[in-house]
Amino acid sequence: MRLELTVNRDPYRREVAPDASLLTVLRDDLGLTGTKWGCMTGDCGACTVLVDGEPVVSCLQLAQQVQGGEVTTVEGLGRDGELGDIQAAFVRNGAAQCGFCTPGMIVAAEALLRHNAAAGEAEIREGLAGNLCRCTGYNKIVDAVLEVGRARSAAT
Amino acid sequence: MPELYVPAQLEDALGFMGEHAGLALPVAGGTDVLIDLRIGRATPKWLVDLSPLEALAGLAFDGETLRIGALTRIRTIELDAEVARRAPAVVEAARVLGSVQIRTMATVGGNICHATPSAEMPPALLVHDAVATVAGPDGERSLSLSELFSGPGKTTLENSELLTAVTLRAPKERSGSCYLRQTVRWSMDLAGVGVAAAVETDGAVVTGARVALCAVAPVPLLVAEAADAVVGTELTTETAVEAAARAAAACSPITDARGTAEYRRQVVAVLVARALRIAWLRATGEWPAGVPAPINGVLSGEGA
Ligand SMILES: Cc1cc2nc3c(=O)[nH]c(=O)nc-3n(C[C@@H](O)[C@@H](O)[C@H](O)COP(=O)(O)OP(=O)(O)OC[C@H]3O[C@@H](n4cnc5c(N)ncnc54)[C@H](O)[C@@H]3O)c2cc1C
Ligand code: FES
Ligand code: FES
Repeated sequence: MRLELTVNRDPYRREVAPDASLLTVLRDDLGLTGTKWGCMTGDCGACTVLVDGEPVVSCLQLAQQVQGGEVTTVEGLGRDGELGDIQAAFVRNGAAQCGFCTPGMIVAAEALLRHNAAAGEAEIREGLAGNLCRCTGYNKIVDAVLEVGRARSAAT
Repeated sequence: MPELYVPAQLEDALGFMGEHAGLALPVAGGTDVLIDLRIGRATPKWLVDLSPLEALAGLAFDGETLRIGALTRIRTIELDAEVARRAPAVVEAARVLGSVQIRTMATVGGNICHATPSAEMPPALLVHDAVATVAGPDGERSLSLSELFSGPGKTTLENSELLTAVTLRAPKERSGSCYLRQTVRWSMDLAGVGVAAAVETDGAVVTGARVALCAVAPVPLLVAEAADAVVGTELTTETAVEAAARAAAACSPITDARGTAEYRRQVVAVLVARALRIAWLRATGEWPAGVPAPINGVLSGEGA
């Protein structure tokens, strides 16, 4: 089935299986492998992307339902080879170890801060509850997101 | 591999489902359907994409009732101030469902129609006297929400029917509701026990009450005899505990990874009393407006 969508500001048109998930389209058809293939049951959040600005787990998102929509993956959060602010804060804070959860975590953090840049620690932990990390113990991730939230709040 | 049918409007979807009765599976947010397809629990020939049916999405308030379209996302309900004011239990159930990502995708209609015994929207909706509107080839029919459930994963919907909305009764002047749950982990866990309660008062005594449960029976349960225990009384610890004991007696939990049957029954007894008390505090205006209940119902200064 024909699928047209915009990913990270670039338009794409592909033939995909009618029951394809957005995750398989992103990774296998578009070669955007930043978005990770994790549990495939919606539990781990490693496949999180934004669809029309809202966070979804792409493993459970029927690709055809995103027809004509706008998708942002972790690759779309930086610009011109520069890291985005959350990506840079993850590096500064040591918020990534093996890195498998990191793309989904960063996209979920982007959604969280767009919704509430002033989110406190409890709100960040709740907002990222759908993103599992088996390495960091979460504290450094929370620190990184708090730091970006403060910077964004100060800038507006 | 199933084919996908994308209807332009409700009539198209109903017509298609009628023609392919038993072979066509509706997809709303897909959070249950994509898993069911992957594990082979569902093997339809056709998927019917409900997402274009915009008339089925969204909240509508008239002076009286609150109509929640079947395609309304859980996230929309979670963030709606008017639902929070009229039906706090519904927002409390929405807030704890899955993650932000799941709530952004999942619809209330899907949560109902998948008929998972632990699904959390049904008990919260049941204590607000939810009426389900169902569309089929011969038009619309309405039934009380509890009549929609017939067993784990089973509803009374015909193959050619779709749920279009649930409608909640207008809240009485002095009324309140609450949803509480027990889980093994704080987040990203299905309810081991879910409890909703609603209370109305004339200022002195309880004039009406509802108690509903999920995850402790094959279908969500509205327990009339539990609610009856508090009607006509000032809600006290004794009457709430009596209601809770009746609810525990009425349920039929199973033993699984989320708890033994006996444990669940005891949790029902504890949570029903707490939920009734919080609903009562809301009805009497003693609960601060807009403040959600702690999800296990333990008020500050008390032990769990
Ligand atoms: C990681 C994860 C965590 C979760 N946590 C929770 C939780 O804490 N609490 C909880 O209650 N649930 C939880 N769920 C389940 C919850 O996401 C689903 O029950 C969801 O609400 C279903 O809605 P949907 O729109 O995604 O439905 P879909 O998956 O699209 O559909 C579900 C079922 O309903 C049918 N259907 C959908 N809409 C209609 C309609 N209008 N008329 C007739 N039939 C229809 C479909 O054919 C299908 O059988 C979780 C799911 C995941 C993946
Ligand atoms: S791969 Fe999508 S949530 Fe785990
Ligand atoms: S860094 Fe390894 S899972 Fe998070």
